[in-house]
Amino acid sequence: MGMSRRLVLASLAGVLAAGSLAIGLHTAGATERPGRRDAGGGNIERGRRLFLVGCASCHGQSGEGTAQGPDLRGVGAASADFQLSTGRMPNTAPDRQSVTKRSPYTRREIDDLVAYVASLGPGPPIPDVNDPPGDLQEGGELYLDNCAACHSASGNGGALSVGRDAPTVHGATQVEVGEAIRTGPGNMPVFGPGTFTRQQVNSIVRYVEYLKKPEDPGGLSLGLVGPITEGLVAILVGLGALMLLTRWIEPPAVREEPPAVTAASPTVTAEPEPATAPEDQQ
Amino acid sequence: MSDNDDVQERKATSRTALAFGVTALASIGLAVTYFVLGGQEQLEGVLLALALGGLGFGFVEVAKHLLPQGPYVEEREALPSSDEDTAAFAADFERGEGWLSRRGFLLKMLGLAAGALGVAALFPIRSLGPSPGQSLFRTKWRRGSLVVDEQGEPVGIDTLDVGGAITVFPQGHLEVEDSQTILIRLSRADVVTRPGRELWGPEGYVGFSKVCTHAGCPVGLYQQQFKRLLCPCHQSTFTVADGAQPVFGPATRSLPQLPLMVDEEGMLRARSDYTEPVGPGFWDRGT
Amino acid sequence: MIVKRIVRWFDERLGAARFVRTALNKVFPDHWSFMLGELALYCFVILILTGIYLTFFFTPGTKEVVYNGSYAPLKGVSMSQAYESVLRISFDVRAGLVMRQIHHWSALIFVGAIIAHLMRIFFTGAFRRPRELNWIIGVTLLLLAIANGFTGYSLPDDQLSGTGLRIAYSVVISVPVVGVWSAFLIFGGEFPGNEVLTRFFVIHILIVPAAIAVLLGAHLALLVRQKHTQFRGPSRKERNVVGARLWPTFTAKTLGLFFFVFAACAALGGLAQINPVWIWGPFQPAAVSAGSQPDWYVGWLEGSLRLLPGWELRAFGHEVPNPFFSGVLLPGITFMLLYAWPFLESRFTKENREEHHLLDRPRDRPVRTAIGVAALAFYAVLFIAGGNDVLAARFNVSVNFVTNVLRVSLFVVPVVAGVLTYRLCKELAARSPTAGEPEASPGAELISRTEDGGFVEVEEPARTP
Repeated sequence: MGMSRRLVLASLAGVLAAGSLAIGLHTAGATERPGRRDAGGGNIERGRRLFLVGCASCHGQSGEGTAQGPDLRGVGAASADFQLSTGRMPNTAPDRQSVTKRSPYTRREIDDLVAYVASLGPGPPIPDVNDPPGDLQEGGELYLDNCAACHSASGNGGALSVGRDAPTVHGATQVEVGEAIRTGPGNMPVFGPGTFTRQQVNSIVRYVEYLKKPEDPGGLSLGLVGPITEGLVAILVGLGALMLLTRWIEPPAVREEPPAVTAASPTVTAEPEPATAPEDQQ
Repeated sequence: MSDNDDVQERKATSRTALAFGVTALASIGLAVTYFVLGGQEQLEGVLLALALGGLGFGFVEVAKHLLPQGPYVEEREALPSSDEDTAAFAADFERGEGWLSRRGFLLKMLGLAAGALGVAALFPIRSLGPSPGQSLFRTKWRRGSLVVDEQGEPVGIDTLDVGGAITVFPQGHLEVEDSQTILIRLSRADVVTRPGRELWGPEGYVGFSKVCTHAGCPVGLYQQQFKRLLCPCHQSTFTVADGAQPVFGPATRSLPQLPLMVDEEGMLRARSDYTEPVGPGFWDRGT
Repeated sequence: MIVKRIVRWFDERLGAARFVRTALNKVFPDHWSFMLGELALYCFVILILTGIYLTFFFTPGTKEVVYNGSYAPLKGVSMSQAYESVLRISFDVRAGLVMRQIHHWSALIFVGAIIAHLMRIFFTGAFRRPRELNWIIGVTLLLLAIANGFTGYSLPDDQLSGTGLRIAYSVVISVPVVGVWSAFLIFGGEFPGNEVLTRFFVIHILIVPAAIAVLLGAHLALLVRQKHTQFRGPSRKERNVVGARLWPTFTAKTLGLFFFVFAACAALGGLAQINPVWIWGPFQPAAVSAGSQPDWYVGWLEGSLRLLPGWELRAFGHEVPNPFFSGVLLPGITFMLLYAWPFLESRFTKENREEHHLLDRPRDRPVRTAIGVAALAFYAVLFIAGGNDVLAARFNVSVNFVTNVLRVSLFVVPVVAGVLTYRLCKELAARSPTAGEPEASPGAELISRTEDGGFVEVEEPARTP
């Protein structure tokens, strides 16, 4: 190959690399990240330094845990990635349920932290939600059997005890759904590899994805809350409108006029009353 | 009639005609929606509403502006029958009924006949269902029943992680309502065994009847951190670590615990059926 | 004219001129609140019409089939015939979903209209003598409407209604002595069994609608026989009814109302999705969804089940379990009080022993109005309690806290509401005292009916003030 050709190829490669990096960074802030994550994508040393600054006060200098935060050794990349990506961690109110919020970390920082936590002990890796490919129907059955009890059939979430709740699943990315299943964050049970195969997890992920935009052929979905909203609409909108309508048909006018003098129907000549059977009197 | 009334009438007439026109057009729209578009729910609903509403509006307009308003007066007669009518009725009725009052024995026999036949007519109701017998006192779990998940896969000591929970059944009886069991894995340290149940929870596995003891809903919400089971129907809450005791809500009784054991291949099996009736209470549950 | 010929043909065979003329001249009071009963009646008609259509497609039955229709997430999933047929109606029958939705929306409005009508009758005292019988029929119609609603939405055999059926089963077995046997006979054995859907189908399409139709006929017949009540006003007396005649004006109005009711149900049926059974999934005995709710008119029972704390009676090996008190005793007492009300009130009110055809203004009967409002408040709290978990999740409060607050409210709110209402009634009544027996304005000419149906003008007799 000539020098110029190599130069062209090298520059092409460079452009491609730069382009991918740009695209990668551009989509870093987006919530839809269905692709794979490289478990080894982050830098452990950088992660350790970030950890000491932002996490060690609750989770201990080496992640061994304190009174404020659990032991992170062995929670795995999946758990760390879930907690950090959804912004649950850092947790500003440890006595309450941690909530999804905007993370103060960039995607790269999260990857570094994940790499560090993953290095603390063996634990569930970040699942690959596309391989093996999930089956929508299997996912629906598994979701309704295992998830709907807390997260509701529609994925709207539901109340738990004493102010906790199973949040809506509509805001989670596919990877986050997979991670939650595998790691059981908060009050959620853990569904490890002995419980669900990777295929089964990916099927559930696919169904949850469907629940974000389910088919609504009937019209306004009313949030898929159920009979409560349906009842409110029926009474307030349906019956309410109809009751207002009756007031239009019979306006509550002040009736001061006397009964109208109308053309009285011609008097029917009274027939002699039969001797025995009384007539039908109307 | 004054000019104003005339104008009112004409306005009402044209409004009514317009409304009926809307009905006609909407009906054509319905035909298009059904046959040309192949159906579309929102269009069907809206067009039908317009078609019906046009008719409704028209009729009400006619009633309010084009038809005699009255008000008319109708007198009430007294509701109770007049004395003559009552007497005449009594006389006529006596004709048919008087002979009965003098035949007390016949009446009694008629009563016996009607009563007996009436009772007999109720017998076919018994065919509606089987005798309850012991049904509510037993499930399909037996000694040695293999614990399987909802796909029928056997459950072993490695199936659940600590903090995991799934629904299980005895092998061969998938989806049998009274046998549904929620299997939870606690860490061994967390289990507080009730007296007599020391062997029921191997390796931290505890199994409870999933049929809520309040009104029978599946108690499917396992709160891993609180180690509590929450029933979504009426919020009965049970503490898992010490035998699923009710601590909130209308349930009055713990969820029955399934005695578990591990076989030589590491698979979970039942030691026996539940030792008490599962599910909600009933009159002779305690017998 | 051809019409004349047809009418004469019928008259030669029926001789109905006098009867029909009497009927057509019946007078209907002209207050809008008298149309509430008609709202319910027309919802019933719509339910029958759409219901018949649905029966051509619905298959009751628990036989397992594999779904192969258009709704992708359930393709290949096994489910009952009933559920499959509802999916088919919703996705694969043209106009099926809109018919189904119109049916369900009009059922929700049906019960609401009955209750609105009941409230009008109650608060104006229209149930007093001679109309106690019609009140009893009316309360029975309410009961039947609720029963038909429950059996109806249980037919699709989806997860949501199946959960409700399980609760119903448990409530039945909680009845002392006969509960378990009753449940086994109704359901054909242990829950869920294979019989209850087919039985509910027969109850829903045949038995209860027939009962409603018969009772409705009796309800209307009594209305015709006893004539309407009416509000006080000029020329309105205990001895007459003032308003519009059945033909032509009232006919046109009521026909218009029917079309409007149908239009409202059609609009809802096409624009607002109701009971998306494909999201709830087919019924499975070991599954349940968070936020499960019954249809609104059962919500008060659901609230009752949630609010009663863990109390029950146990003695000598027998027990009266918790759901009996909240699920049988409470509704039992509710309907017993409803049925007994006219008789209770007349026991404590001497004037109820006479006939009443003029209605009370609610403010003129402060005790009755206050009791009515307190009762409504009681059931409203129960209704809210039925959705305590949805409320808690929606507003980020502890469901335990919400439940406890509602437990207290159940007793506090009705009392407060009743007392406030009493005061308000007294205040309003003091400001606008009841008119006495209204007199006809001078110069008015009254027409009156003769015994055999004719109309004559009457001389206004001299009035004593």
